[in-house]
Parts: sequence; structure tokens; C-alpha cells
Amino acid sequence: MFLLRHALQLVLREPRRSVAAALGVGIAGALITSVLLFGVASGATVTRRALADLPVDAQVVLTPGADRAAAETIVRADPAVRDVLPFTLVHFNGATLQKSGSATQTSSGVLVGVDAGYSDKTGLFKVAQGAATTGQITVSRDLATNLGAVPGDTVRFALPGGGTADLVVSGITDITGADLILGPVDAAHRAAGTNSAVDVAVMDRASLAAIATSIPAGATAADPGAQGGGSSPVFAPELAVRQELQLRYDHALLPGDPASAQTWLTDVRHRIEGQGAGAFLVADDASASLAPIASDLVWGQILFIFLAFPGVALALALSRLAADATADATRRHAALLRARGATPRQLQRVFIGATALTALAGALVGSLIGVVLASVRFGSELAASDPVGAIVRAVIIAVVAATVLATAAAAFPLREQLRQEVAAGRQELQRARAPLWQRLYLDVLAIVAAIVVYYVVGSGIHPVIGVEGNPTVTIALTSFVAPLLLWTGGTLLLLRLSQRVMSRSGRLAGWLERILGPGGELAGRSLTARAGAASRAIVVLALSVSFATSVLIFDATYRQQQRVDAQLTLGADLKIVPTQPTDAPAVAGLAGPGISTVTPFVDRIVYVGSEAQDLLGIDPSTLPQVSTLADTFFKGISGADAMAALRSQPDGILVSDETAKDYSIVPGDRVRIRVPDVNGNLVQVDFRMAGIALEFPTAPKDAFLVANQSFVAAQTGNNRISFALARASGDPTDVAGSLGARLGSGWQVTDLGATNARLANTITSVDLADLVLLDLIFAVLIAAVGAALFLLAGLVERRRELATIEAIGAEPRQLRALVIGEATVIGLSGLMIGVLSGAVVGYTLLQIMAGLFDPPADFPTVPIPALLGAALAVVVGLAAAVFVADRALSRLRVLALLRER
Amino acid sequence: MTAVISCHGATRRYPRNGTDAVVAVRNVDLEVQPGEFVAIQGPSGSGKTTLLGLLAGLESADEGTVSVLGHDLARLSLTERARLRRSGMGIVFQSFGLVASLTAGENVALPLALAGMDRDERRKRASAALAEVGLGGGEDRRTDELSGGERQRVGVARAIAGDPTLVLADEPTGSLDDENAAVILDLLTATVRKRGASLVLVTHDPESAARADRSIRMRDGAFLNGDA
Repeated sequence: MFLLRHALQLVLREPRRSVAAALGVGIAGALITSVLLFGVASGATVTRRALADLPVDAQVVLTPGADRAAAETIVRADPAVRDVLPFTLVHFNGATLQKSGSATQTSSGVLVGVDAGYSDKTGLFKVAQGAATTGQITVSRDLATNLGAVPGDTVRFALPGGGTADLVVSGITDITGADLILGPVDAAHRAAGTNSAVDVAVMDRASLAAIATSIPAGATAADPGAQGGGSSPVFAPELAVRQELQLRYDHALLPGDPASAQTWLTDVRHRIEGQGAGAFLVADDASASLAPIASDLVWGQILFIFLAFPGVALALALSRLAADATADATRRHAALLRARGATPRQLQRVFIGATALTALAGALVGSLIGVVLASVRFGSELAASDPVGAIVRAVIIAVVAATVLATAAAAFPLREQLRQEVAAGRQELQRARAPLWQRLYLDVLAIVAAIVVYYVVGSGIHPVIGVEGNPTVTIALTSFVAPLLLWTGGTLLLLRLSQRVMSRSGRLAGWLERILGPGGELAGRSLTARAGAASRAIVVLALSVSFATSVLIFDATYRQQQRVDAQLTLGADLKIVPTQPTDAPAVAGLAGPGISTVTPFVDRIVYVGSEAQDLLGIDPSTLPQVSTLADTFFKGISGADAMAALRSQPDGILVSDETAKDYSIVPGDRVRIRVPDVNGNLVQVDFRMAGIALEFPTAPKDAFLVANQSFVAAQTGNNRISFALARASGDPTDVAGSLGARLGSGWQVTDLGATNARLANTITSVDLADLVLLDLIFAVLIAAVGAALFLLAGLVERRRELATIEAIGAEPRQLRALVIGEATVIGLSGLMIGVLSGAVVGYTLLQIMAGLFDPPADFPTVPIPALLGAALAVVVGLAAAVFVADRALSRLRVLALLRER
Repeated sequence: MTAVISCHGATRRYPRNGTDAVVAVRNVDLEVQPGEFVAIQGPSGSGKTTLLGLLAGLESADEGTVSVLGHDLARLSLTERARLRRSGMGIVFQSFGLVASLTAGENVALPLALAGMDRDERRKRASAALAEVGLGGGEDRRTDELSGGERQRVGVARAIAGDPTLVLADEPTGSLDDENAAVILDLLTATVRKRGASLVLVTHDPESAARADRSIRMRDGAFLNGDA
């Protein structure tokens, strides 16, 4: 009780000391809280983004004989359900195409029946070529390739139970994104990752219902393995006919956190199944999509915390500077308590208790500021994820962590000061000998360890984006060990070096005198005399700048790579798709304000032998000005050479590596391809191989071909384009807006920004802008507060000296020059060292996180304007610190200080 | 002959507990002539140092006028007062008032540096002043290497290095033993008299005060009857 009372008294009677001590802890509390809440908000973003592209949230599978209308009434009544889409899936045992006297067969697959409008609502089964016609089928590329089917062909499907159905092919359909819908619906098989069907035919639901009547009730899909179809090693036994109601939920009701969202989805599923009383089962597609994201997000949040960790450490380091700045108050109060008979042990307890109390208060206030900041910056995302619970959790974690760490950080200098008090030392707190870490060379050891860890452990462990557009991140905790060691070792080494340089800088005083006059000389002398404190201030400032620099470089490269990824997918800054059939010459009319170059683009499904592939028809003269064609996109030749080859050889064609191997062709060989004319009839066209393309803008990951659009048009009489690509001369999103307005309804404009946002659905989809802004605000704040505390500590330590200097004739401007001189040296050193070390840490971080990007960044992007802005903000912060110090100087009570004994 | 110090009805109050105020210097009249050595005596808290602060322009009188070296201090800005202290005054402090990061020579040269004097010239003057107080050749010594007596010698050297017209000394021997105190007082009076400057010595020591041309006793902020 005695100790608590005295600790409280110390907090209240020394308000300057208390506020200074609480400042750093407050910043740490605010930073921890806002970063934790950013993690929660990013969870909401990831959840929303992951579910935005999901075609349907759940599949209600009707049991045989169940009343579809009654089931539909039940599910529509549930408050979570926004839309109900009827869906029929019928397994077939095999498909045959009779053509030119020979028959081609495939093994099992599925017939899908959907209503008109299904594609528009879900984005699934879009017709890539031809058209959807009632009573006819559009087939997947795989089925078309396996059968060699083209529009107009009739395919015979062998149905379970022995029946057949002859159906005319009216087009080619895209089955991308339909894996969950086409695969088995029971949880066990989904968990086992059973492959979905790839031989798919889509038709209207009414016609498929008529076909399904010929299948006996209870018939099951045939095992392709039993039929000799060796391509499918596993088989999920299912009823031959699957009647479904596919549900789309109201996503506004979903909690933001993926784990909570999964719980919510499970509750909805149980509720709907309960209402059905056995008439149907619910397959939860949304929950299945969220499962991997929940674990990805944990790693993402580690990344976010890692990006903010240096800021927290620096904020806590302010506690040490605060202890320096308030050393006089500590000594004064300690002397008072000792005079009243307090033992050294009691003294320590009182002061550490007071430190803990101020840290607690600072952490609480800081945490609340962090909540306000987070609400302002990403309040809408937070609102989607149990904001009260998230805020309470973040505040508790931040307050406990900041209080405990700050108390520990301040306890050491406190002990020193109390020892000094006993010795009645008045001068600056200088250690009699170097601290333990310096004597043990822990700084050098940490850096060496960082290098060893990076090469032995770190280089093999990167986050990995999964294949087929389903990004997952597998990242080992050890990935963070190297940068952590580098940061810690670098910090300590910096402290050692700057201390050494400051204590030996004889020229500093002369240099500052030339610039700032006698006040500058005093500043130089003073810095040399206070090398320990000055180097700590430089290190805090340098690390703040380093922190800001590394975050900015990481963010700029992150954005750049998102853009590169998006450009590869979209093809260029802008993709302009005609809503009506349009010929190539019309593309010239798209040019105008904001468009620097525009080029026609054709994507047509053609046949190499029986294999359906995408033929990309391009203009090799204008495409390089619109799209990025990296050399790595081609095999054996550069991007420029590939385009030159197409320009010089009208019938030239670039084929995929797989096609070149399958057909054993080399450049110069003739390649005969069947290409649809304007009516969809296949025309035989002879090309000559010009090279191998591994990747190409807009191209699918698998087989594709690239040829001259004008040649293809001339050979087939089909000059229609699929779309145009354009390079924007300004911001693509702005240009897309104005272009869309100019072109009207005849064209649909998509810009890079929209693609960027849709691309990834895990942690790379999180916009780091808010986190970067938070980090920057805190970095500048820490730099400014650090400098202010150093300058104020200088004033406190030397207040009698300063009073003497004023008494013997120093003008106010000369005293100000002293403060400015110290701030200039601290500021310049901190900025220079900070930018350099920030670049190193940023580069290391990028190397560690290389796997997040596809393709990975070769070099970090250096955001010069942002870095200059951050530096300017630090300079403004320093100016504010000088202002505060100057105000304190002007309030110096000279006579009272001169009287002090 | 114009007085070096001319003080009429000078009063200085310090606020205490809001509206209440402590009168540190009360209605003081003082004239000091060129070359005169005046001692101001009194117990602790009698207002001696506050009076010295008023004379140095470090404090402002709430009432009355304080003219030093022909300047009414109330009319001078902070910068002008600083320049006046630098050019016409020398101040000696009880606790020496040395800057720990500077050498002995640099401490002596500090007021000259603040006045913008050329580096060589001020070094020369500092060396001469140090030699005058018996510390010749000690320019490069660090202040923490000096004894108490030596530190105050440096303080005296700094006060006289700019050849001031007025030297103000606030208990200059208060931190020294008797032997050193006598030496320092001798040095101070000798060097000041050598320059024909005036000296105002604040002290509680009657023996020190006895050396002065005139001794004034203070109590409760005011001169005792008959003094001044």
C-alpha cells in the first residue's frame, strides 16, 4: 500500500515525467491496436473478396422424389437466402461422335441443365463460341477436344440405365470456376479433393429434364475405371441424376472474419437442412472456399504485424529517451524519498510501480487513439466483423503488451538513474563501461546469424501461390527469422557506430559554427559530449525512417507486382469489348483522349488436329506498344524478335511448348489449323511456325496459339474482333470512365484497377494502403517525439549550463541555433542512415516474400515521391520538435537555475 | 561622471499561490560609480541575487527603473540585454558556471565567441586572461580536470576577458575553502581594479564585504536604513 501510494504520488506530482514516459507507450499502444484491427479488417476484405467471385454459396441437393417446389419455398423463406437457382446435373457414361465414317468416344462426364439467366447471375458456363440454343448443347473445351466436336456436330450420350440421347452441339462453353458445382457434393469427397468432371455439356434445364426421365430412378453414375477409362483413378459413386437448388446468400449478413463467417454459414446450413426434414441436404460451397483462406489469413496477419513490429519496438524505445529526458525529476523525487528513509529496494519498487502506472495510462489512451484511427481508415471493413469484440480484444492485447514491454524497457535506465541519485551525480547519464551487448558483440553476431539463416533456411522457404487461380500461401515462421535478426543486429550496430562517430567528431563543432555561428559550435561540442544520448536519438530517428522506407518500398513493389499480374490477365491497361459483332477497322475509332495506342485482338477457338485451342489474333505492330511482352514469355527468342517474326511473316504462328512437343514441330514447319469463319464453319488454314510462346497477355495457362489477326481474317473471311486492347496515357481507371462515357453502350470497358481488385483472393488481395499510411504516421510521430525527447533531455541535463550561457550574453537566436544545430545533425544522420538501412530491410523483406507475387519482382520499386514525402514529414516533425525545445528554452528560469546549489 | 548603475525604486515580485506575491526586491535605490567596488551583504533569501539579476538584465523590475551602463534596461529587448551583458559586463557565479563540453580556454572565450570575435583573437585574449588568473598554458584542460579553485579562476578569467566596465559577482567564493576563497577574491578585485571597472559583489561574508569601497546590507528585499 505504501509503495502504491508513493508510486501514485510520483505519477501525479511529476506530470512532465509522467507525460513523457506515457508518450512512447501511447504510440506503441496505438500502433499495436490499429495493426491488430487492420488484421481484422483485412480478414473482412479477404472474406468479402473470396465470396464475391463464388458463383453460388450453397447447393441444396434434393433427395430422389422430393418436391422441388416445396423445397424452394422452404429455402426462399430463410432470411440468409437472396437468390435460388434451379440446377440439374445428369451423369453420362460416355459420349460418341460419328464423323466421316469414324467414331470418337470419351468416357464419363456430366450434362448440366440451367435456366436462362443462370450464366449472367453466376458467371458460369459462358458461351465462348457459337450460341446456347434450346434443345442443343454447348460443350466444354475438353469434351470438344476429346471428341473433335465442332458446332453443328451431333453427339450421342450413353446414359446410366442404358438409354442414349443424341444432342446437337451449338457452341463451346467455358467451365472455369465450376469445379465445386460439377464435383461431388458430399463432404467426405470434397474433403478428399475429388476431381470434378471436365467433359461437360450444358443445355437448357427443361430439355435435360426430359432426357432425365429416361434414366431409371436410383440409377448411379458409372465408374469410368470399370469402363476402362484409366484417366480417372478415383470415382465418387453418385446418383445419375442430381436435382439441385443453388443458393446465393445475402453477403451483407456475413461476419467479416473468415472463421466467424464459416460458423455463420454452418448455422445457415443447419437451419435450412432442419427445415427440409430430410427432403434435401445442403452442400456448403462458401464454407469450403473459406477454409483455406482462414489459414492464409493467419500468415497474412503475421506479415502485417511484421511490417509494424519495428514501429512498436521503436515506440517502446521512446520510453528510454523519456527516461533520459526526465532524469532530473527522477533524481529529485528519489532524493526526497531517500530523505524520508526509503531503502534502495523500496525506491526501485516505487519508481517501477510509477512507470507501470504511467505505461498503463499511456497504453490505454494510445489504444483508444488506435481504435479511432482504425475506425477512420477502415471502419466499414471493421463493421463487417463483430467490431465490438474485435476492438475489445485488440485493446486488451495492446494495453497488456505495451504496458509490460514499456515497463521492462524503462526499468533498466531507471535503475541507472537511481544509482546516479545515490552518487549525487549531476552530469549526463553515461555508462562507466560499455553495455553487455557491446562487449559481447551481439550486434555483429546477429547480423552474421541473419546471413546464415537467410542462406541456409530462408532461401528455400517462400510463400507460394497455388496453381489454377486458387492462391494459397504456405509460409514458414522461419522466413521471418533472417529479417528479424538483421533488423535487431543492424539496430545495435548502428548504435555502436554512431556512438563512436559522435564521440570522436572533432570537426563537427567547426562545421556547425560556420553554418550557425557560436550556437552551432556549442551544438557540436554538446553532441560530442553527449555521444551516448545523441547516438540513441539518431538510432531512433534512423530506424523510424528505415521503417518508413522499407514499408514504402515493400508497398510500392507489392502494388507494382499486382499491376504486372493484372496486366498479364487483362492484356493491357484497358480491355474494350464490343457488345455487337464488330470488325477490326472499327478499332481505329476507339482512339481519342486518354488513349495512347489501341490494338485489335481476336480470341477464337480453333482445332489443331482434334484438339481445341485458343488462337490469339494480334497486330504485331501495335500490340508491343499496348501490352508488356517480357522476354520470359517466349522460348529461345525475345519478345521483340517474336513480334518481328510475325510482322515479317504474315502466316507465322507462335505455338505453345506443349503443342510443339506433341506435334514435334520446329520453326519453319507448316501447321494446319481449322479456324471458324464468320458463320462458325471451320476453315482449314495453313500457318508456318515462327516460335514458341510460354505466356501471352490474356492467354489461358494451357495451350494457345498466336498469329497475325489480318492473316486470319483474310484466310477465313472473318474480320471480327473479340476485343481491343489499349494503353492509357493517364490513370487507367479514370480513362476507362471517360472512354466508357464516350463510347456508350456499344463497347464495354474494363480497366486494370478492376482486374487488380479481382485477381487474388488471399492476402495479396488486401490493400496495404491503410497499413502503410498507419505505419508512416507512426514512423513520423516516433521520429518527431524521439527527437523532441532528445532535445528536451539535453535541455534538462544542461539547464544550468544553458542558464549560464544566457547570463554571459547569448542571444535568444544563438540559443536557438544550439537546438537547431543538434536537431540538424540528428536529423540528417537519421535520415541518411534510415533511407539506406530501410532499402536493405525492404529488399530483404521482398526476397522473403517473393512467392507472394506471380511473377516475382526482379528489383524492388523505389517510390521516390513517397519517400521524399515521408522525409519531408520527418523534417516537419523535427521542426516541431525544435519548436517545442525552443519554447522550453525561452521559459528557462535563468536566475533560479543559477541559484541552484 | 555618469553612474555605471543607476537604480531607483526597483521592485521585483514573484507570484505565489495565484494572486499572492513575494516581494524579492523592495523599492531599492542604488548608484554605482565607475571603478567603484560595492558589496551587497545579507542573509539567504534577503534578495541579493534577485537584485543582481535585475542589474544583469536577467530579470525585469516590476516597478522603478534600472539603468546600467547608460541603458534603461526596461527599454531593451532580450537580444539587446544579451548584447549589453556580453559587451559591457562580466559575471562570476558561485557554482563557476562552466560549460562541461568546452575546455578551459573555450569557456573563457565563450562570451567573445558569442560576440562574433575572430577565432584567433579570442583565443589570444582567453590565453591572456587565463594567464592573468594564474592558469597560463591551461587552455586545453577539460573542466572536470580542474579543482574548485581552478574552476573559479576560469570563471574570473571569463568575466574579465572582454574587458568589461562592470563585473557582477554572485557569491564567487561560496563554493570554496577559505584559502581558495581568499585567493579568488584577491584575483577578482585585482583584475577588476586593473581595468578600472566597477565591481558589485554579492556575499554573505562580512570579511569579503569589508574589502569593498562600500558595503550595503539587505534584508527582506530592501536595503537597511542608511545603506545605499
